[in-house]
Amino acid sequence: MSGARVGAVVVKEMQEMRRNRLLVVTMLLPALALTVLPLIVLRVLRAVPQRPMSPDEVSGLLALAPQLTSFSAEELLQVFLARTFLTIFLILPLILPLTIAAHSIIGEKQMRSLEPLLATPIRTGELLLGKSLSAMAPAVVATWLAYLLFFAVAPWVVTGRVYQALLDPMWLAAALLLAPLLSLLSVSCGVVISSRVNDTRAAQNTGGLLVLPVVALLGGQALGWVLLDYRLMLAGCLLVALIDAGVLWVGVLLFDRETILTRWK
Amino acid sequence: MIRAEGLSRRFGAFTAAQDLSFEVKGGEVFALLGPNGAGKTTTVRMLACLIAPSAGRARVADLEVGREDDAIRSRIGFLTESPGLYDRLSATQNLTFFARLQGLGAREAGARVARYLDLLGLTGRGDEPVSGFSKGMRQKLAIARALLHEPQVLFLDEPTSGLDPESAHVVRDFIAGLRAEGRTVLLCTHNLDEADRLADRIGVVKQRMLAVGTAESLRHQLYGRRLTVRLRGATDAQVAAARAVASVREIERDGDRLVIAVPDPETAAPAIVRELVRTGADVLSVTEERRSLEEVYLRVVHEGPGAGS
Repeated sequence: MSGARVGAVVVKEMQEMRRNRLLVVTMLLPALALTVLPLIVLRVLRAVPQRPMSPDEVSGLLALAPQLTSFSAEELLQVFLARTFLTIFLILPLILPLTIAAHSIIGEKQMRSLEPLLATPIRTGELLLGKSLSAMAPAVVATWLAYLLFFAVAPWVVTGRVYQALLDPMWLAAALLLAPLLSLLSVSCGVVISSRVNDTRAAQNTGGLLVLPVVALLGGQALGWVLLDYRLMLAGCLLVALIDAGVLWVGVLLFDRETILTRWK
Repeated sequence: MIRAEGLSRRFGAFTAAQDLSFEVKGGEVFALLGPNGAGKTTTVRMLACLIAPSAGRARVADLEVGREDDAIRSRIGFLTESPGLYDRLSATQNLTFFARLQGLGAREAGARVARYLDLLGLTGRGDEPVSGFSKGMRQKLAIARALLHEPQVLFLDEPTSGLDPESAHVVRDFIAGLRAEGRTVLLCTHNLDEADRLADRIGVVKQRMLAVGTAESLRHQLYGRRLTVRLRGATDAQVAAARAVASVREIERDGDRLVIAVPDPETAAPAIVRELVRTGADVLSVTEERRSLEEVYLRVVHEGPGAGS
């Protein structure tokens, strides 16, 4: 594995991305929307009187987070909603890079640049890693910005006690560890699918299935079955890291230079 | 520098290349000439380690195809049929990317890129996106990309395909320059004039290798060598005198024009002229008949490996 060749692929991909401002904007817009909307919802929730929570609902929430017993029902609702929104941010590193990842190999083939590229000494692993890293970087940065923006604006949206409750190092791990790992998973899958099909739409649609585990986690939280905590987060990181390594390995095995060069039209 | 032995490639039931054997010596320009779908690109792709042969073996730059592929790829330059450039990137960015992939350091890559942009007359356009380049400029850039790492062996697949005459001329001049530099070039083309002008030797291929040799040797092999002698008022006696020359194999008379088959025109022509003059003939001109490469090519392609025998 040559770091120089991986780096060359990353630099080239970034240069192409910089010249495609529309792509960058369409990547940043969903991130911005996904950050601003929860803040608006939380602000509205605080301003508009809500239906009082039943004692069963309150005790159900407290069972998941007993450290919040001193919180009012409204504050509890804010905490749990905010945590759900913060979990939703983890969808960003999964969906944002898909377009780039899905286009990675198919795009090379469509531009007819894949043949000269494969005629160089670049190895399959180097090419796939370079493509993956360059696709995940903007998505990870967008996710970080989403977390930063949320925590920067949240003091004006939620109460002080709620804000304190949200300042959990777990979200630091989510942003710095899980988000890049999820992004790598998304782009690795996208690149692998991109090297197996010859239509970016097919690659994107198939890659879109990756958000399902995060959606399942959100559903579990909404139903009160599970609450994302530090241990669950670290276990998730470990699991995703293992899957990442596996997908990259499988990707290298599945990347069939001959088929891509000779059968794709 | 390049040696193919029984190289074959099948795609399912379709055989793209069958039992190809040929050798290209160091510093030689060898043209693979053949119609569309003859297996030229497949052959080059096998030699460039992009696809594996179904049978046979090959060596490129003294390395075994299939065993030392990474090393081969670092010693070859490959101009693909389509330039395959990154349209959004500038010429400099395109070349720098490939220079880095070929293992050149940042400083060396920068110097090489500048050198080749200058060599191909693109210095002032280095920072422009390639999308605005003409076909000829794109092809020149693709050639520069193939040469950046100073490869020993160059594969050029249809280098002038789709270019206007002026751009094609520039590219051909550049290829001629490569020969002068002593590089080994395998040129795939269906442009007969290009092959005739640039190649030291030609291999006519249509799935199989139908004929190999210099353009001249292929002409001689297929049509033999003939002298055309123009006389003023040819007579039967003069024709008989020419026929009597030992090296003359056959004479066709067309009015005052004699077409004479000989094994070696350089020695036969003076003897024939002497005999004709001795019989009082006025010899207006003596020329060696030269068949076009197109005639040679069409005959080989239609008659197969046995053409001319």
